[in-house]
Order: sequence, then C-alpha cells, then structure tokens
Amino acid sequence: MDLFSHSWLPFIYLYGLGGFLFVFGIIITLKAGSFDLRRYSHKKWMWVLVFGFVWYLAMHFLMTLAALDMISVYAVPIILLLLAVVFIIVTVILRKK
Amino acid sequence: MEHTVEQTFHSIGTTTDWIVMVVYFIAIMLFGSYFGRYTKNTSDFFFGGRRFSWWLITMSIVATGVGSHSFVKYSAKGFQHGISSSMTYLNDWFFIAFFMFGWLPIIVYSKVRSIPEYFEKRFSPSARFLATILLLLYMIGYIGIGFLTLGKAVIPMLPQAFVIFGTTVPITLMGAIVVIAIITGIYITFGGQTAVIFTDLLQGFILLFAGLLLFFFGITYLGGFDIFWNLLPVEWKLPLADFNQPANFNFVGIFWQDAIAGSIGFLFMNQGLIMRFMACKSVNEGRKAAAVNILFVLPISAIVVGNAGWVGKAISIASPDVISTNTSPDQIFVVVANIIASPGMFGFIMAALTAALMSTVDTLINATAAIFINDVYRPVRKFLKKAIPTESEKERRELGAARYASIGVTVLGVLAVLAFKNFPTVYEAHGYFHSTLTPPLVVGIFLGVFWKKFTPAGVITTFVGGIALMILGARYPGILIAPFDHGIEMNQSHPYSYIRALYNIVVCLGVAILAVFTAPWQAKTVSVLQNKQNGKTAMNVLTGFVIFLIVLVTFNIASIDFQILAALGIIILVPFVVTYFVQYDEEKNTKGLIAGSIGEARRYFKDGEPNDEEGEKVFVHWKQIDGDTAVVRFSIENMAKMKAQPGDLVYLSDKRKWLGGLKSIHSVFGEPHDEPGVVYVTGEQIGHGLFVPGRILEAEKEM
Repeated sequence: MDLFSHSWLPFIYLYGLGGFLFVFGIIITLKAGSFDLRRYSHKKWMWVLVFGFVWYLAMHFLMTLAALDMISVYAVPIILLLLAVVFIIVTVILRKK
Repeated sequence: MEHTVEQTFHSIGTTTDWIVMVVYFIAIMLFGSYFGRYTKNTSDFFFGGRRFSWWLITMSIVATGVGSHSFVKYSAKGFQHGISSSMTYLNDWFFIAFFMFGWLPIIVYSKVRSIPEYFEKRFSPSARFLATILLLLYMIGYIGIGFLTLGKAVIPMLPQAFVIFGTTVPITLMGAIVVIAIITGIYITFGGQTAVIFTDLLQGFILLFAGLLLFFFGITYLGGFDIFWNLLPVEWKLPLADFNQPANFNFVGIFWQDAIAGSIGFLFMNQGLIMRFMACKSVNEGRKAAAVNILFVLPISAIVVGNAGWVGKAISIASPDVISTNTSPDQIFVVVANIIASPGMFGFIMAALTAALMSTVDTLINATAAIFINDVYRPVRKFLKKAIPTESEKERRELGAARYASIGVTVLGVLAVLAFKNFPTVYEAHGYFHSTLTPPLVVGIFLGVFWKKFTPAGVITTFVGGIALMILGARYPGILIAPFDHGIEMNQSHPYSYIRALYNIVVCLGVAILAVFTAPWQAKTVSVLQNKQNGKTAMNVLTGFVIFLIVLVTFNIASIDFQILAALGIIILVPFVVTYFVQYDEEKNTKGLIAGSIGEARRYFKDGEPNDEEGEKVFVHWKQIDGDTAVVRFSIENMAKMKAQPGDLVYLSDKRKWLGGLKSIHSVFGEPHDEPGVVYVTGEQIGHGLFVPGRILEAEKEM
C-alpha cells in the first residue's frame, strides 16, 4: 500500500509551508525591530523559537516513523523527553548568564 | 469509513455518576464565586487587573483551548481517522514569532481593551465599526459551537424523554442547550474574569488529569499499550491525515482551515484568549505563558482530547459487539468513557468535560461582553453625549451593563447553534466556521500590525470586497474555490468546508494588497474631487452605487458574471470612497501600533522613556502611609538594587509564588525614602493589591 500521500507528503507540506511562515515571522519581527537580538532577553527567546520548531518537526517525524513501523513506538517519547531535558538545561544556563 | 445508520445513545451512566457531576458543578461554582469577590471594576471584570503569573495563565488557557469542544470533536475524528484527529494542536508554533513580538506587545502597550479598539486607533472609527460586527459574529459563532458541543456531550447521558405531571416531555438537543446556557449565564454574570481565570486554572489541571486517566483506563481495558497500538491500522497511527481525501477529513484542507485560519484566529482574534494574555503581569510573562502552553501543554492536550476516539476504534476492531463501527462519532467520547470507566469515575470524567466546556463558553461570553461594552456601549454613550455624574457611578453602570451584556450574548450564542446543528459532526461545523469567519479579520490584523502602508482604504476594502468575493465563493464553489482544492473532492451538501479557508485568505489578502498598491491613484483622484465644487455630490453618488453593488452580491440578484463584475466594482470603488471620507495620518495612526514602532508603544505605555537597565528583584515589608495613591515609595538602597528611577513602572506582589500574582498591584516609583527593606503604600493600594499585614512583598521594576 502506498502511504506517501498519508505520511511524508503532508509532512513535507506542513514543514515546507509552515517552516516558511515560521522563518518569515522571525525575519519580519527582526526587521521591524520588535524582536531585537541586541537585547539579551530576546536572544534567549530566539533559542526558544528555534527549539520549538525542531521540537515539533522531531515529534511528527518520529511519530511517522513509528506508525510506519520503522522505529519502535516507545522510542518516540524517549527521544522527545531527551529533547525536553536539553531544552530545560540550555534555558536554565541561559537564564543564569 | 461508511456509516449507514448512526447508532445513538441515551441514559448512559448511573445515579452515582449524576451525583458526582452535581457535586463537581457545585464545587466549581463555589470556587469561581469565591474569586468573583476580587472583581471591583470593569478592568477586573474583563482583564483580571493585569496581574497574573505566566504559569497561572498557561493552565487557565488549557481549559479555554482544550475545553472548547475539543473532547467531542477530536474524539469523533479520532474514531473515524485515528491519531491525526488532533494534529492541528501541533501547528501553532509557526505563528509564534508574529504573536510574541508583534501582536502581544502591541495590544498590551497600546492599552487597547478590545480588538476593534485597535482598529480605530490604527485605522479609523469606520474600520472599528466593521471589525466590531465581524468580531461579534466570530465570538457569538464560537459560543454557539461551544453550546452545540455541550448539548451533544450531555444528550447521551439523558433519557429520551421525562414525564412531568403526567405529560411526556421529549429531551431535545436545543432543550438541553437552553438549560445549559442558563447555568452558564448565571455563573459568568456574577463572576468576571478573575473568577473565570481561577476556575479555569483548577479545571485545566482536572481536565488534563481526566483525559490522561481515560487513556490509561482505555489501554488497561484493551490489555496493554502494545495490544492497543497493534490493533490500530497503519492509517490510524499516522500523525497527519491523508493529503487530500476524504472530503470530510484531509490534511491540506485541515491545514488551511485549522492550522492557518483557526490557529491565527485563535491566537490573534479570539478576544477570550487575548484577554488572558492581557491579564498577565507583563508582556514577557505573556510570552512565557504562550511558549509553555504551545510547546508542552498542547502536545499533551492532543492526546487528552483525541484518545477516546483512538481507544474506541481499537475496541471496535477487537470487540465490534461492544462498540459498533456505526456509533455516532460525536457520541464516541461518552460511549467509550462509559465502557472503560467505573460508575462514579465516569461521572467525574463527564463532569470535567462539561465543566471545561462551560469554562470555554464562559470565557467567550465574558470576552464578547467586553467587546460590547468597549465597542458598542461606550461609543454609543459618547455619541449620545450622556453625562454621568461621577467616575464611580460610571464604573457601577458599566459593570451592570457588562452583566446584562453577558446575558444577551448567552441568548445569541444559543441562537447561533441553529446555524451549526445540521453539520454531520461538530468538527465539520467548526471547520466551516473557521474557514468562513476568520480570514477578513485575520488579514486585517496581520497587515495592520506588520505593514505600515496598510491604510483604512485597505482594511475596509478587505472587509467589504473580501467578503463579497467570499460570498461568491460560497455560492459558486465549483467555479471559484475549485482551483484551490488541491485535488479534494467537492462534497455537494457541504462543499469545501475546509479548503475554502485558502480561497478566503487569498481573496482577502489579494484585495488588501491591491487596495494598498493603488493608493497613490486613489489619493490623486480624491484630491481632484476635493477641489471640485460638486466633488462631494459625486462621491455620494459613488457611495450609493457601491451600496447597490453590495446588495446585488449579498442577495444574489443577477447572474454569476454580473455578480463577479459587481464584486470587482466594490473592490475598485470602495478605496476611493474611504480615501475621500476617512481622515488618516500615516505617522499618527501607526505610532506605537505597528511592529515597527514597539519602542513608541512602550513610551506611550509608560508615559516616558523606558528604563531597560537590568535590575534585581527586592523583598520588602509594606507600611501604610497617607499620600499620593499613584506612586509607591522604596528606599534609596532598594531603588539602586532594582536600577529604578522615580517615574519608572513597578510591579509589587505578595512573595508567595503560588498565588500567581492574585495579590499584587502595578504602580510607579515615587521619590525614595531612607528606610531600607520597606515600601510605603497607601490604603487604597493595599486594598487593591489585597496585601496581607505581615506578609513580605516582592518588587520588580517593569520598565
């Protein structure tokens, strides 16, 4: 059974178009000056924004792999948990700086 | 999945379940009423006094977002299509930069109380008028969807009829909704935003707990996670739906309808959600609330709202005699919960669901009442030049009007159910609603915030011309929407319920861009007409002709060709009319109101130059003094630690973090004194901040 239109095609569409909108949002707010990377607090937000995008991309990617039986379904929460731990550690380090 | 005759249920649940539900409702209402006492004026009633911490707002948003029809609609699609049912919970991040660094700081710093008020400041009173109509339609429609879902959730638990004084009275969906609306209306009318926030906080936790508990019961019922997972067909396990089929659930349609129109609509124009962020103590706290909610709470919520449908599907494969594949999708949540949860526990889950749904509706009613007061009541009073003796009398009257408005909005919300109840599922009704009502306002807000050149002519043409093309799209979907359909088959009874969002966004955006790029010609023509003696008469005739064209399109008078020509006429002529009649100064109307002038907005908010020097928080005892209630006074030492100057803004709250800012005030630094570790506050400030004698306060400089 060809599942491409049910798995990777929507994935590519979602992160292609969604990714474009995401980057466009960052560029527009940077150009407008409301998102100002000269301010340290905004640099921390940039980290959160980029992490968020990777976090969701990883979530959909892993869930698709698990559904297609390419990885164990139990690997999904484990890898996501590791990503969340990395996020918390980096965020705490950035906060203390 | 083919559904020949849908199997529906009545009288599900036991007496124990009903007792649990009644006790739960009474407890929640008492909890809300307790916090209702913190409502002293309309600012508290609608915005909770702009004082709360990010975690409190994050959790209160859960009940607003998750409670809103989600359990019923996502479980229905989960049963029909699998895990992809709640995929749209994972799409909000794409727009987060726009929200965090565009819309959120603007609405807070510009001190607008409602979205239409932003339209007046940014564009013109006429833009505000149209935005108010569109927003009220959106909010009342949302309330209608909420009531419909509540009715559908409760109906399976009720008998088909009851006997009163020997007469059999059938229980209908609308009847159940009316009773629910009365209960909801009573609660919101006497609570206010603080009550809603705290009730939602409690319900946010309960809701997540109940949803995860249900998943645990379901997995246990099936014999373990491996069995559950292996029972599901591959298509049910995939996180995204099939690209373009079937017509009632496909990825690309849902992407545009829910991920784009729905998510932007929810983040940018849902006054209920916006008011939650405005209740945060600062913009940065609002950003934290949004980030934590979207990153971590929404993925959990996606499991919470959809799992009953997934479990139902697995049970229907393993034991078709227990759950038939023909079970009504909108009832699957209740059916599954009843099968896998014990008596009492089922009552608890149903109570959590219905109470959370009520929270959503409460929030929306409160928000819609806020729009009514701010954008209808006050402007009308101003127009009629009604004099009010004192400020406190004005507050009293507005609070009264706000409560009557809540009742009126509740009634309209019930009537709105009629527009949605004939859709096969709540999901489809909601999808159609998002696709249809959000695009004009979403485009208006977006371009208003991020495009300085976007003028009143642009926004009003977007509303009028965009809607004219949307009406034609709805009337002739096979001709106008089909080019955007990505291969989705057109369902004749509900054509392009989802992908119409793409068409609607494209036409609104196209109209907006056209109106802006032709602005120099409009200005030139208008300037010629203004210098002519009969210029005004010519413009009045033109306005009349535009109204005629609008009537032509709205009431379907003439053939499709003429209607398309009429729509194009509207798009071309409205900018001239608006440019002629509306006063607009680009510099003045964009100052502090677009993303490019956040600095100005901050200056306006503070009424002075912001102080961004990073200081520390300090802990102080408070001492009551008589004096200026507009300022609080700290010691020289504490001021130095906070890097604060007289005139800077300060946030002062009870040190106990778990209060989430409930006992707090915003104020301004006054001249320092020389008593370290003490802040001088007035009796009025103590009363407003609900400060407790002997309790330490935490102070931080805002800007």
